[in-house]
Amino acid sequence: MKRRRFLKELVAGAVASSVLKSSLAEAAFSAQTSQRYLRPPGALAEEEFESRCIRCGQCSEVCPNRCIKYFDLENGIDSLNTPYIVPRSKACILCMKCGQVCPTGAIKPLERTAEDILAHVKMGKARVEKSLCLSYQGKTCGVCYRACPLQDVGIRVGLLEQPHVLEGCVGCGLCERSCIQLPQAIKIIPEHILKATASS
Amino acid sequence: MSSSSTPFFLWRHLNKLRWLVLSLVFLMLVALPFVHVYQTYVASFSYDLLDPDEKELFGIMEALTSPLTDNPADDLDAIKGNTWSGNFFGYKISDPLAVAGQAAASLSVYWPFVLTALIPILFSLLLGRFYCGWICPANFLYELNTIVALSLQRFGIRVGHRRFDRRLKYLVLVLGLVLSAISGSVLISVIYPPAIVGRELYFGIALGGVGAGLAFFVLTLLFDLLVSRRGFCRYICPGGALYSLLGRFRLFRIRRVVENCNDCAKCNAVCEFGLDPLHDDFGQECNNCTACIAVCPTDALTFVTRLRDEANQGPGHLGRKYKHLQQDSG
Repeated sequence: MKRRRFLKELVAGAVASSVLKSSLAEAAFSAQTSQRYLRPPGALAEEEFESRCIRCGQCSEVCPNRCIKYFDLENGIDSLNTPYIVPRSKACILCMKCGQVCPTGAIKPLERTAEDILAHVKMGKARVEKSLCLSYQGKTCGVCYRACPLQDVGIRVGLLEQPHVLEGCVGCGLCERSCIQLPQAIKIIPEHILKATASS
Repeated sequence: MSSSSTPFFLWRHLNKLRWLVLSLVFLMLVALPFVHVYQTYVASFSYDLLDPDEKELFGIMEALTSPLTDNPADDLDAIKGNTWSGNFFGYKISDPLAVAGQAAASLSVYWPFVLTALIPILFSLLLGRFYCGWICPANFLYELNTIVALSLQRFGIRVGHRRFDRRLKYLVLVLGLVLSAISGSVLISVIYPPAIVGRELYFGIALGGVGAGLAFFVLTLLFDLLVSRRGFCRYICPGGALYSLLGRFRLFRIRRVVENCNDCAKCNAVCEFGLDPLHDDFGQECNNCTACIAVCPTDALTFVTRLRDEANQGPGHLGRKYKHLQQDSG
């Protein structure tokens, strides 16, 4: 049931996105959920990923956090049965098992070390919406910072635990998952959206 | 004339072994999603938070796996995946069609992946289309579907027996690869039943929802039932086409011992792929399933090692037709 409702929302989002194609902020903070999915950690760039992924389903089968799901037809037939992550419902814990098991290198085989992860994992970048963030409203929070597996590399906190995303952010989504605000005040902008907006 | 010899007695029982293998592969595809779910429970130390039925699953899986390992979260990763592509104790094995489709989609060759299909390709060169008969999880369901069709027929319900051109599937293979190349996405995996069965079983059991693939698979079952018996495998399956091509000059093949044959044609009736063993017509479509060997009442079918089929050997020497021929000439 949950999945079906989620799919409906995705389809609705796809329709909405074709109407409202504009800036980065809108991509993240409007209802265009169909655009805002992450590929597993270490995945190749979107187009190359689709040409490499044979849809064997093993990345999810080794995922200890059960965060990897599979597209049905909602993201187009090209992404049918390819893996994705929605960080708000379940984020990646960067265990890197999916890359080890992937037979085609669509997800690069990486060691679970900070160097490998920082060098090769590009799922997206976190972005803080200050008008929603508690810490920016004077109520000290800092949950996103504490959830981050790359503290002070991916994110740092300033006065009143106000979060600042750094260059090292790999986009695992644990901050978005943990944000106590509704809607969440920190969101991951996926790599393919970052690329699309950078080129346009 | 060579004296008639009975085939090695174990060949008759290969069909039972085949059903055992098919069942085990299918069972594996059902069990692995449960194993995965159990692993996630263990990895998250969440036993106290589980629902009663989840606790039940945990208990069952723990009882089953505790003799094998103390560390299920890591050790049970030893076997993952399905027949499309899988990990077996660190060795990756993939379907040759996955390699072909992936190479077409990215228009380049990724060698580590190509090597994973080496073992299946070698076996196909020796044993022909054996994958279709011995391993394919979709074949398991299609053969059960044949049994359903036969029982429907017993109740007087018409089922499909249409015949098409066998070469259609090679066209589907080429079209699938071309489509994969054009779209830049491995679309051939979307119309390949064993890949679909593996995936959808996992989606259904572990992720709590099935997808469009299942609808496609049900359509193929209906096609087999209502239009053409085993029609998908015989006329459409792109993987079957690839395996047929690989196995064209297979070393191990079934041969009719004409001295023992009595022309009863049970082999033709039982052949899932609608081949013609009675007239020595096996061809590259034969998947060495050995159903004909098992059904033969006079032990007239056996395995031989040679690269080509026998040309039509004429009527069996135990049959009426052969005796007439003998009388006419003598």
